[in-house]
Amino acid sequence: MKKKMRVLWLSAIACNGNTHSFLNYPYMEQFLDDFEFIYHPVIDSEYSLEDIVSKEITCDILLIEGAISKEFKRADVSVVDIIEKYSKIVQKIVTVGTCATFGGIFRESGYEETSGLHFDQEEPLKTHQDLLDKTISVSGCPVHPEVLVNTLYAIKKSVALKLDNFLRPKEFYAYTVHNGCTRNEYFEYKVDNHRFGELEGCMFYDHGCQAPFTHGSCNKILWNEVNSKTRAGLPCMGCTEPAFPRQNLFSTKKNMAIPENLPVGVGKRVYLTLAGISKAFKIDRLEKKLFDD
Amino acid sequence: MIKLIEKIEGEAKLNFNFKDNKIDFVDIEFMSTRNIENILRGKNAFDALVINPRVCGICGHAHLIATVQALESCYDNLKLSNKAKIIRELTLNFELIQNHFKWFYLTMLPLFGHKQQVLKATYPSQLMGKAIALFGGQYPHTSYAVVGGVVCEITEIDIIKLQHYIAQTLKFVEDNLLKTMSENFLTCEDADALLDYEGDLPDILRQIKKEGFLEHGKSYDRFISFGHNSYFKKGKSLNAKVTHNISVSHVKESEMPSSFAKNVSFKDKYYEVGPLARAMVNKTPLVADAHKKYGDSIFSRILARVCEISQLLQHSKELIKDLDLSEESYIEPSIDISKLTASGYSAVEAARGTLIHKVEIENGMIKNYEIITPTQWNLSGGTKDKHGVSQKAMIGLSDVKTAELVFKSFDVCSVCTTH
Repeated sequence: MKKKMRVLWLSAIACNGNTHSFLNYPYMEQFLDDFEFIYHPVIDSEYSLEDIVSKEITCDILLIEGAISKEFKRADVSVVDIIEKYSKIVQKIVTVGTCATFGGIFRESGYEETSGLHFDQEEPLKTHQDLLDKTISVSGCPVHPEVLVNTLYAIKKSVALKLDNFLRPKEFYAYTVHNGCTRNEYFEYKVDNHRFGELEGCMFYDHGCQAPFTHGSCNKILWNEVNSKTRAGLPCMGCTEPAFPRQNLFSTKKNMAIPENLPVGVGKRVYLTLAGISKAFKIDRLEKKLFDD
Repeated sequence: MIKLIEKIEGEAKLNFNFKDNKIDFVDIEFMSTRNIENILRGKNAFDALVINPRVCGICGHAHLIATVQALESCYDNLKLSNKAKIIRELTLNFELIQNHFKWFYLTMLPLFGHKQQVLKATYPSQLMGKAIALFGGQYPHTSYAVVGGVVCEITEIDIIKLQHYIAQTLKFVEDNLLKTMSENFLTCEDADALLDYEGDLPDILRQIKKEGFLEHGKSYDRFISFGHNSYFKKGKSLNAKVTHNISVSHVKESEMPSSFAKNVSFKDKYYEVGPLARAMVNKTPLVADAHKKYGDSIFSRILARVCEISQLLQHSKELIKDLDLSEESYIEPSIDISKLTASGYSAVEAARGTLIHKVEIENGMIKNYEIITPTQWNLSGGTKDKHGVSQKAMIGLSDVKTAELVFKSFDVCSVCTTH
């Protein structure tokens, strides 16, 4: 019988959104053939949580979901103690989702010093530096199932993934969420009169869309294999980034009518120049309904 | 004896007291909280649409719908198209359905000594996830329902895709859960007649009968359901007598000394919520028959949850016919949220039962937010003189393993409870 990789899925301060996002992975049969969970929040495992915290079970990969605080316990043991115990014996640690990577929404849940494993938002932490070489971050609220599963396969096949400054695989996080959005032309030509409930228009100008400055493959691999938030008409909330959740998520923060956050790598001056030129296009096709009579 | 109950979207500690080898009292403890209500305070009211789905990974969509309805109740004369209402109802239905598949195949089957069926849980729930994503962009954790409607526009082709997801899910039910045409399941009014079919559901129901579990899990026979829509009615049922005139103002939350979860009562009494409650209030013939024969036991509770899958799929098919695509998906509110100071509430039916959100807004910012989740209703921890619903359902059982089965028949959600 072939050897399966043994995975521990540990939840800290979480909503289990990553757990359920993972269950949307389309080739689950194959996955369960190659990996086995020594513990998972909903999938049956050989060991109970009480076994996990009281013993040291052989394990290859530690997955952490949820924000981390020493004060937060699972089965009466601090999650930090559980993480420290297993991080010594595993080959790799994967912080699954934005809470485990940066602190995310539950960074504010009131526990002492709540953060991600290596980052408190964008701030690198001094703790657990010995684990930096072992860790891969797959941020997102929730993580995309293919991003998680394919990262696990890369570990299994000893593929050396190139990581960004937040330890995220560039394969998935070198793109911006803007890449592949069906509303791209409205952005490119600065057609800025979007209303909710329409196929047309771009949410960057007024509705708070963070896609041009958010790293992720949402519009490259799509969600549930069918759609993405921005394609549907919902602004990108920047859920893969350290600052998630920002505030006033449905409106674009502007200074002197210029969006405060510009596309990755674009300077203010050049943006202004380009926006002026783009506006001059006045493309009739983009001013009308997409399905025109 | 203390037992840690695991894999309920978290854990709970049950402290069992035995008397004459029977369970005499069970103390239910949740060990943590995530303070979502505090996180919301001081934020822009619309941000709740993004934060609240993150209360729960398995029923976050219900939290979205509850949030948007609570916010909308703060407005006077807000316009909402019928199309937006239908779309919201559809996506919420799909979330309920995916939950029920997961509960049956991941949670229930192993408790009856069967192997957990991961693929039977994920295949249909993925189809329902696709159906939600078609409108919402993704599942879980979309925020596509906003004050004034939904952000998406849909086309005839989207409807065709949606019908395929539903048809494929119905086929899964017919091939696995109850091996017969869906019409037979939907029109069946005799709970015992189900036992003559093949399928994963009748297998479990037969096992309940064979192993003498028919008395297990009975509680007060008192049900409540607040979230009404085109399918669910609002009301309460006492020993199968149904009244519809109930008000959320009689719902009270109270602190528990031993747990982070809060108790919830209606007029100082504990009520069961969830699919069995909904079916009792709706007088669904098949469930009413099961209840008549087997009371509020695990037989009726399991049957009610599973048959809700077919009912909601069927109802969703009907709802789609009522969609008028020429209507607007979104109608902009006439007043800007920053000018709004008001309070409101909503009640929706989440997978596990009635979910209530209450909000106070001051100049568009959240001053106060309260969430009452279904599991709080079912797991309210009472005293020996006044048991909570699930506590009472476990009294008199002789072993902890059976008690865990009864406990989990309520489809317990720890993360929701410890919001």
